[in-house]
Amino acid sequence: MTLTPKERVLKQLAGEEIDRVPCYSGMGNVTVAGLQELGYKFPLVHGDAEMMANLAATSYKMFGYECAVVPFDFCVEAEALGCVMNAYENVEHLLYPTIKEKALHSEEELDSFPIPEDLANAGRIPVVVEAIKRLKKEFGDELPIGTYFLGPFTLGGQIYDLDLLLKYAFKKQKLIYAMLDRLADVLIRVAKIYKEAGADYLTVREMGSGTDLLSPRMWNTLIKPHLIKIISALKEMNFPNNLHICGETNLIVKNMVECGADSISVELKNDMVKTRQEIGPEPLVFGNHDAYKLLVHDSVDDVEKAVIKCLEDGVDAIWPGCDIWPEAKLENVKALVEATKKYGAEKWHRKRK
Amino acid sequence: MSEERKKELFEQLKQGVINFDEDLVKEAANAVVAEGFSAVDAVFQGLVPGMEYVGELYEQQEYFVPELLMCADAMYAGLDILRPHMERTDLGVTGVVVMGVVQGDVHDIGKNIVKMMFDVAGFEVHDLGRDVPLEVFVEEQLRTDADLVCLSAMMTTTMVGMKDIIKQIKLKNPNAKVMIGGAPVTEDIAEKFGADGFAEDASNALKDAINMLTTLRKLKDEAESA
Ligand code: B12
Repeated sequence: MTLTPKERVLKQLAGEEIDRVPCYSGMGNVTVAGLQELGYKFPLVHGDAEMMANLAATSYKMFGYECAVVPFDFCVEAEALGCVMNAYENVEHLLYPTIKEKALHSEEELDSFPIPEDLANAGRIPVVVEAIKRLKKEFGDELPIGTYFLGPFTLGGQIYDLDLLLKYAFKKQKLIYAMLDRLADVLIRVAKIYKEAGADYLTVREMGSGTDLLSPRMWNTLIKPHLIKIISALKEMNFPNNLHICGETNLIVKNMVECGADSISVELKNDMVKTRQEIGPEPLVFGNHDAYKLLVHDSVDDVEKAVIKCLEDGVDAIWPGCDIWPEAKLENVKALVEATKKYGAEKWHRKRK
Repeated sequence: MSEERKKELFEQLKQGVINFDEDLVKEAANAVVAEGFSAVDAVFQGLVPGMEYVGELYEQQEYFVPELLMCADAMYAGLDILRPHMERTDLGVTGVVVMGVVQGDVHDIGKNIVKMMFDVAGFEVHDLGRDVPLEVFVEEQLRTDADLVCLSAMMTTTMVGMKDIIKQIKLKNPNAKVMIGGAPVTEDIAEKFGADGFAEDASNALKDAINMLTTLRKLKDEAESA
């Protein structure tokens, strides 16, 4: 059977059988090569739907990546809630946007902050929506259109002082629980908007909650309930999904699976062999190649070896640990796709037996 | 002023830090001052060992970042009370440190942990925060005549910016030392960028800084007496 990338990705997320693992991501895939091809400056693409869509499409057009994903930064939901972002328009080298002004400044606001009535028109959400629509129109038949947002805790660190959030997560759990619940409701509404725009799958990026930062105990009591809430809602609206956490995740991977997402994804710091031992062969786990060194510095040969290792260790999609690093060499990303095609059935744990 | 009482108070300081018990730390620090014990000893035999132990718990994944930040709060509560009773020369190696996360990078959790270690060890730390433009490091070094500038970066793109900052600082003030760190930084890169030091984590950062500044002082003293 020959499947289009869209069929391959969506069938797999629906739990159906497919020919080989896909090579794609639920996170950003910006490359300097893509920017150059289009003659775009990175700071300008975040606010322009046409540029955003065109840039997202380069990962498919230029190296055959099996998806197109928007947006590229971490500020969209935060801006919709009143934060101000910095795109670094006057800086020569490539920088990712950051939040320069937080939306919340006092403890009292945490569980009662205002949420825009018209979320669909708040901040840059309309830009992302428009970009999704454009991608859908141009590539909708063959390519899955992906999007993402931050998980509630990571989003909390964007809209409020992260130091305080981390401390309150310990000292004022009830308050933070209420805050995260409120943010989960916001995110569920954002998901509906993206789904209606035509997005095929959504990645929940709760990257600020791994064991580099929080204890497994805290993860279970404070992080997990809200992820379950969001993922249940995604399922209810038939929105295929992935739960991603980067950094160290071995100690919480079982709990990640228990959140019920169609798939989870992890990075290099996760020992995949151990993960499979712990969660068994069933759950879909995507990962976990190095999004930076492998693609920027290593050789084409190294890329092929890494793909084989990921497959042997038990992943179900060749998927980077985080956003693909922009300086990625074109030949390396191409090699990643090629190696996936070459070994994606033969070395895949679901076909091996 | 019994030796026993002193030990008891220092132990309270240590345990207070470890168990993030701000009240206990404040109470013990106030008692140290009221009963006339040495504030310096209280810091170095109470608060510092406490933070060192916290660092170990963090490495063993017994403690995580929230716990670490709360221990730091307890430590600062003690420091605020004890500092006014310390002479700057009490501290052995004193030093002025400028610290920050480079432009385009908001990852500041690691930097905050490094800052904490420097604070407890008695350095005068000027924290520039995160997303700090190149020229601000250079200006702040000159303004404070800092002995050491610590640069942090968590991304490969922003790490590259460190090279320029180091060059500019050295150009304006060849005596200033620069130390760099953050997840993507390695010994190799530190050398290539012309940094004087690199450390993988906060406690090694502190050890290296103390070594560096001790050597610096020696050289200065030798130059003066020669
Ligand atoms: C939390 C986090 C965030 C938070 C940051 C919140 C904050 N205020 O810090 C948020 C969600 C905002 C975020 C955003 C982004 N992130 Co981020 N994030 C992380 C994460 C999960 C943890 C980092 C952390 O705090 N670790 C814990 C601390 C304690 O460790 P540490 O920082 O290494 O510090 C220790 C040492 O390095 C050392 N040290 C630190 N500084 C210094 C300084 C000196 C002088 C010395 C001597 C030592 C030293 O001592 C510290 C204590 O022991 C990492 C993944 C990971 N596990 O590393 C990704 C990671 C750093 N992020 C990454 C990316 C790509 C991004 C984004 C670009 C995503 C996007 N599409 O926008 C944005 C960037 C925004 C920007 N322009 O800055 C990538 C970077 C990839 C690369 N190779 O460059 C990482 C590595 C994830 C990955 N797996 O690829 N992120």
